[in-house]
Amino acid sequence: MAKEFTYSGCAASAQACAMAKVEVICSYPIRPYTAIMMELVKMIHNGELDAEFVHGEGEHAQFSVVIGASASGARALTGTSGVGMTYAMEVLSPIAGGRYPLQAAVADRALDPPGDFGSEHTDVMTARDQGWIIGWAETPQEVFDNHLINYRVGEDENVMLPQFVCQDGYFVSHIPGKVSVPEQSQVDEFLPPYKPHNPLNPKAPYIHAPQIKPNQGPVIDLQRAQAHLNTPKVIRQAVGEYNQIMGREYSPFLEEYRCEDAEMVIFIMGGHARTCRFAVDALRQKGVKIGMVKIRFVRPWPTDEVAECLSKFKAVGVVETSTSYGGAMKGGNLLHEVRASLYDLPVRPLTTSFMAGLGGEVVSLQGFNYVAETLTKAIAANKVNKYVQWIGFEPDWHEFVEAGG
Amino acid sequence: MSFIVPEERKVAQGVVIPSPVGENTDMITSNWRSQRPYMKDLDKCDMCRNCYIFCPDGCWTVDEENEVVIWNAKYCKGCLVCVTECTEKALDVADELDFDDGVVRLEKSF
Amino acid sequence: MAHVHEVTIWARGVVQDKEGRDVSQIIALGAERENKFTQAFDDYEDLPDRVGVPVRKYSRISDEEIVMRYDYENENPEVVIVMEEAIVKGIDILRHMTVKGILVVNTKRPAADILKFIPNKDQLDKIVCVDAEEIAAGVATVDFSGSEGGVDATTLGAGISAPLVGAAMKASGLVAFENVEAVVMNKEALKRGFEEAVIEPAN
Repeated sequence: MAKEFTYSGCAASAQACAMAKVEVICSYPIRPYTAIMMELVKMIHNGELDAEFVHGEGEHAQFSVVIGASASGARALTGTSGVGMTYAMEVLSPIAGGRYPLQAAVADRALDPPGDFGSEHTDVMTARDQGWIIGWAETPQEVFDNHLINYRVGEDENVMLPQFVCQDGYFVSHIPGKVSVPEQSQVDEFLPPYKPHNPLNPKAPYIHAPQIKPNQGPVIDLQRAQAHLNTPKVIRQAVGEYNQIMGREYSPFLEEYRCEDAEMVIFIMGGHARTCRFAVDALRQKGVKIGMVKIRFVRPWPTDEVAECLSKFKAVGVVETSTSYGGAMKGGNLLHEVRASLYDLPVRPLTTSFMAGLGGEVVSLQGFNYVAETLTKAIAANKVNKYVQWIGFEPDWHEFVEAGG
Repeated sequence: MSFIVPEERKVAQGVVIPSPVGENTDMITSNWRSQRPYMKDLDKCDMCRNCYIFCPDGCWTVDEENEVVIWNAKYCKGCLVCVTECTEKALDVADELDFDDGVVRLEKSF
Repeated sequence: MAHVHEVTIWARGVVQDKEGRDVSQIIALGAERENKFTQAFDDYEDLPDRVGVPVRKYSRISDEEIVMRYDYENENPEVVIVMEEAIVKGIDILRHMTVKGILVVNTKRPAADILKFIPNKDQLDKIVCVDAEEIAAGVATVDFSGSEGGVDATTLGAGISAPLVGAAMKASGLVAFENVEAVVMNKEALKRGFEEAVIEPAN
């Protein structure tokens, strides 16, 4: 029988990883993900979890330690936040390229400068090219579920990729919510033990990641690309089984909220989706035909799903809580991939983006109302004026607020 | 692209801001105290300067001419290390609310 | 959107951090027993790992699901609980209060001695003084995991939080006594706080 607890996202992460029976954990403190490691240590101390706990000397060391653990055949866990991510960056590609399906629990934090504990997705979005599976959770419940689903997907023999399981710092990681925790037997049914490929073993020696020549590079890169092409099918299968065993209703990549007869949608990721739902409800009550599409995995990017889903609408407002300075769309990261997914459609929706929640700022209902108003104007004019609107700083934002929006 | 940044939200470029000199008026820590040190018995003070040396926040200064030590109410956090280190037991502890003044009242935390 | 009752708790960093969190959690868990929607969380910006710094905890109760879940501060507290008396002197504890609210203070001093430090006391309806140190025998549990966003290892309301919750609930009526009693560890202290709280008009 599943039991309900009130857990912060951090506590939910720790609970999920303990139930996944992780074997090696490497920690290094950085706010806000630190509590995940503190909770796991308590569980080891109480005898609830049998794992090796290593304290790294920095985030670079953290990620390096878990390579060794995973290469030796252990289910490994690490994690970080904000600038810890960028410090560990060197090790990310070796992990993905070496095909070690370890997991990193990330609670987002804005990158320096200056020191800011607030949540921004930039820290992990910066690592999109490194070859990891990356996804975001909206609530502590989803954090819990994502940890288990990701281990299952990552350790699948056709995938064998490491995973980032991300949650917004403070909003999801620190503010408690209800989490339904399944029985250990249900978790064991869903998540088989880790079967490593050719683990490090003195009795059957294998070399991991030797030096190569340039002409061997393309084949290795192609293999890694192939793994990402294999992943969506495994995600669909894993999520389907998870839903069935645990009684959830996740859709693998995109969740549609009130999109049935929507003319416009807000495309969003992470914790702010929760507030967005209420904003959509309120706007619907005023007769605005609006819905929300929440994306759960950023890598592998669900190109066909995004194209098929968004093709139904006249306008899409992408809410960006990460930055890509100097990028094609002059704002965040998501719009680039959304537009690329939509490019080949015979009829494309209008798309634009909105910088919201940067630095950990709260995205208010007013912010979402502004998105709806901008999209309404775009549909009426049948064009968008800008690639990106910076909520709080656009001239028409100030007009919108003054008009009581 | 033109943006309007409200005055109260403006930040210096690269977040490079002038450094406070002498005292950090952006972080006035008098409201961290629940108790304060005070000179209970000035006759006992032998100007050993322990309070001045040990204070982590530099809240004791030495007035050589008048042979007294002066306490900084604005920044003292009430750690009471000076009371512990006072060699002659001249300093003692008092509740902060026994005094009407001495704390800079802030509008919000930092 | 239903009204959200907000309680803001002020405590001292490290030494009272857990007890402050206990107050917010006891109130929220008690209200959940009455089928309310609740939140109980720590202020994220008041870095709690500094000894003595004033830190805030929040508790929210509503008849419907709380929409703005992610606020960094309570937008409109009705009840403010101060766990160490000197906090009233150094910071505007009634900030953002727009209704005529209730102030609960852990103190041995009479209400007048506390009120003289609060220039905006007109904002208050009532003040409640309760000697939580004496009632809870000076117990103040400490737990760093909860300060960082994890789960506190010890039970709720073992120390000074219990009588303060009792006093706050007596004065505000936000949660029925038996419902907070069910979640608190030191029930005797809770009861004494409830019964011995001196509730006076603030003006």
